[in-house]
Amino acid sequence: MYTAWTVKHKPKSTCEIVGNILAIKALREWLRSWEKGIPKKRATFLHGPAGVGKTVTVEALAHELQMELVEKNASDYRTEDAINRFAGLASQYGSLFGGKRIILLDELDGLMGNADKGGVKAIINIVKNARCPLVLIANNAYNPRFRTLRSYCLLIEFKKPAAGMILKTLERISTREEIQPEETVLKFIAQRAEGDVRSAVNDFQALAQGKKRLTYNDVSWLAHRDRQDSIFNVVKLIIYGRTSLGAKKAVNMADVDLDMLFEWIYENAPSHLTDPHDLAEAMNALSMADVYRGRIRASQDWSLLRYVIDYMTAGVAMARQNSKVSGWIPFKFPSRIMALSRSKTQRATRKKIGLKIRRRFHISAKRASNEVLPYLRIIFKGNVQMAAGIAKWLDLDREMIEYIAESKAKAGKINTLLS
Amino acid sequence: MSFEMWAEKYRPKRLSDMIDQKTIVERLKSFAKSRNVPHCIFAGPPGTGKTTAALCLARDLYGESYREHLMELNASDERGINVVRETVKTFARSRSIGEIPFKILILDEADNMTSDAQQALRRTMERYTETCRFIMCANYSGKIIEPIQSRCAPFRFSFLPRAEHDAYIKQLAERENVKLLPDGVESIFEVCGGDLRRAINTLQAAASMNKPVDSLLVYSVTGKASPADVQRMLNTAINGDFLGARKQLRDMIQKYGVAGVDIIRQIHKEIFKAEIPEPWKMKLATVTGEIDFRLIEGSDEEVQLSALLARIAEAGNEMKKEN
Repeated sequence: MYTAWTVKHKPKSTCEIVGNILAIKALREWLRSWEKGIPKKRATFLHGPAGVGKTVTVEALAHELQMELVEKNASDYRTEDAINRFAGLASQYGSLFGGKRIILLDELDGLMGNADKGGVKAIINIVKNARCPLVLIANNAYNPRFRTLRSYCLLIEFKKPAAGMILKTLERISTREEIQPEETVLKFIAQRAEGDVRSAVNDFQALAQGKKRLTYNDVSWLAHRDRQDSIFNVVKLIIYGRTSLGAKKAVNMADVDLDMLFEWIYENAPSHLTDPHDLAEAMNALSMADVYRGRIRASQDWSLLRYVIDYMTAGVAMARQNSKVSGWIPFKFPSRIMALSRSKTQRATRKKIGLKIRRRFHISAKRASNEVLPYLRIIFKGNVQMAAGIAKWLDLDREMIEYIAESKAKAGKINTLLS
Repeated sequence: MSFEMWAEKYRPKRLSDMIDQKTIVERLKSFAKSRNVPHCIFAGPPGTGKTTAALCLARDLYGESYREHLMELNASDERGINVVRETVKTFARSRSIGEIPFKILILDEADNMTSDAQQALRRTMERYTETCRFIMCANYSGKIIEPIQSRCAPFRFSFLPRAEHDAYIKQLAERENVKLLPDGVESIFEVCGGDLRRAINTLQAAASMNKPVDSLLVYSVTGKASPADVQRMLNTAINGDFLGARKQLRDMIQKYGVAGVDIIRQIHKEIFKAEIPEPWKMKLATVTGEIDFRLIEGSDEEVQLSALLARIAEAGNEMKKEN
């Protein structure tokens, strides 16, 4: 039978909750302070990002302190009327059976718009008259709508637990589910969750359910839970693709053009393919993709584009045979493009010189800068007179001379000879 | 010593000045004599005199005012179809004034033209044959489309033989009052492999140091002329540092504008000098050949060469395992 692991393995006690030790302690102390009468703040406001354990903490504490938990969340109506009906509960000291009671209003972020009209005002009224602990939960307590409400509450912040903490949770679950994952697998999932324990557990279930063993290859393709559905994701789907078709399809998700995507893969593949053979295969695939780009350019036959895509996606994905990646390697912006823009002025000067040489030398500007320029450089550095003669013959300007001589002083000398 | 580029200064002016490619020159002379020239393809490696032969032919045909009847286009710089449509057409269709009814269009590095442009060119060649003859210079005639090839008389240029190369370089050194030692000539040939333009540039750069040109000087010049420290890059790759090797490669290409073909030629040379197990040398040469071929065909030098570096890194890893 399918049960969500987030429910099945929900922490029963606070010691199973990872991270946020201080927050949990603060909440516990506040709850216990009710034993000595009604405290100054009749409500606490737990806030923090999704999936870090706010609700779970309240549930676990209720269990530990043997209190009855009455919970209302986004699925309930929260108009003023609906909340006032519910307010009766809060105004009583305890449950029907004499036990103590916690009232939890979850997902207050959803409290907005017309449907929840007057909701916040109603909640403030309940807080003022509460005779049992009232716990409020929202992602963002600093929303202006909560300004007045905040002043009546004890604020407790929950933070994202570190990946290592999430790892503990995943290890606990894998023991209970009798799954033997490679160590890197859990690390990978934990890191990818970015502090969201719930999503980490969901990922783990999606990947591991029904399996006894879990290898890195089983998980590496995992998508970045719609947080950064961007070029990173696309590159990842390609470099860690398990099927050719999957890797090929990733191209459609890219919001950059094919050449830019090529650069991303070309930049990042080496750091994600640790095995030299895998890397050589991937680079070979990129080389073949490039050959087809050249063929398209030469023939203008764009139907060949499909082979460019094949090689740069499926070709790269299938190169992965033995590579293991421990830990999380970030994807980088193509450094080649950055280097190109940095050397822009230099290349422009070189091109201008190439054109000057071409006029005199009967070779293309490109060839000129590749074949003739290096010799000019030697001459310009070594023989000022000859340099001046050639500069005059080629009609080079000051900037070009300086570029070739690679020295202001030398260029100055050459220029004096010229004038 | 004269202060201009010697390779230009000593470029032959007339067909009779040309020192090699004897059979080709004879045929071209007969064209000049009969005052008729077919469309031609001059194919062969760089520095073997293709452009020079075309220019000499033009001078022999038209005399010193040959510039008026000649247009030189370089396909590497203007390779698109628009150049053919506009520049070439305009030049080709206007009649020539003078005794010879046609003009000459030299299309240099024609193998770098897109096939679209070549297709467009084919019609232009046909239509304006009476007013314009084409001479296409190319390193690889195979990259010129069949229909054009079939309209042209083919000429195959080859590297200068050793003896003629040496004689020419020695003569040039003499004229420029450069002291050129025998081992200097030898190493120029070794480094430039018969590419005369390169050989002359090398000689001039060496001579500019105002020292007798010996083997040592030639090597130091050619070393400097290629800022590509290929040996270092190769070792980086063999030691398994692919990313480091790729960075060095990028510097060569982007900072110094070293051509991919030059880098791969040096890689090929270094492989056989490298201190690696013998059986690996040929294996690496095989991969180098394949990538060299792709370089000719493909488009991006860094991508192609880094694919080679990745293979070398892989090989380096295998060698380590063997030990």
